[in-house]
Amino acid sequence: MKITVDRILEGEDEVILRYREMTQEVERILKVLRADEKRLIGRQGKEQVVLNAKKVLYLESVDEVTFAYTKNGVYRIDYTLAEAEARFGMEGFFRCSKSMVINIWKVASLKSMSCNRIDATMENGEHVIISRTYAAEFRRILKGGRTDE
Amino acid sequence: MNKGDRPLSRWHRYLTKEIGIEFKACLYFYVILFFYSVYRIIRGTWDASIIHMAEMILTTYSMGYLQVYLFSNFDEAEHLGKKEIGYSIVCSILYTAVSILCKWFERDALVTGYYFCYMVFAYICAFWVYKIKRDIDTRKLNEELKAFKERGKKHESCD
Repeated sequence: MKITVDRILEGEDEVILRYREMTQEVERILKVLRADEKRLIGRQGKEQVVLNAKKVLYLESVDEVTFAYTKNGVYRIDYTLAEAEARFGMEGFFRCSKSMVINIWKVASLKSMSCNRIDATMENGEHVIISRTYAAEFRRILKGGRTDE
Repeated sequence: MNKGDRPLSRWHRYLTKEIGIEFKACLYFYVILFFYSVYRIIRGTWDASIIHMAEMILTTYSMGYLQVYLFSNFDEAEHLGKKEIGYSIVCSILYTAVSILCKWFERDALVTGYYFCYMVFAYICAFWVYKIKRDIDTRKLNEELKAFKERGKKHESCD
């Protein structure tokens, strides 16, 4: 396989993979490239931790600072909620209210509430409310109707 | 983002609330109309006053606003507590006051008394109906969540 590496002075870093057929080798390279997409850097005090997006239960924005909640702890992350939802939407991240994003895969159970709201119990037992504004989209996703996939 | 995926705008949120109030108005109008019709039949009258019905619709519509904006939409509450029972009694008193004012039951004290109890009972029934509806919805949501996770597992194993 021919490898070309170009250094650019302006613009965004980019990896372009040209292939004639999807071989095992191409698939392996793609897997390596995509693996990074599923990770995010979390900070706990001065310590930096690489978090697997699949392990994150939910994200919360408090005073414009975003926190990621896992079973083991709370980490400060650099993404805004909108950025995190856009980047990890495929990993099940879903905006459920103005200040929260949940990982649908980490929802243990759901409860229908008044005014079309939904109470989501996460795997750690915490309750997150899916507001009326986002509940309709959440129901559509559960039915397999996410349009950006 | 697809049009259907966009979060609800302020206009849509207002519209949803307004439709909820319209629905409440219809529900309680039929509740009152049933009592009124039974009362009329017992009195041997087989027709109903259009003026009375117009007053009923106007009252239920106004009460809908009161319930949603001032009384925390109590008939759709999660639990039937002291606050919800209190609001039911206040609303039933208001409905009874209007019935006296508009002479729906010719200011008959006994019928008016029954009507007050009937309205409290109607509110409790509405609360239970909404609760049953939510319980069914909860079951459906959890089934869909389970199916969603199973679909995801299959998709992952295919990758």
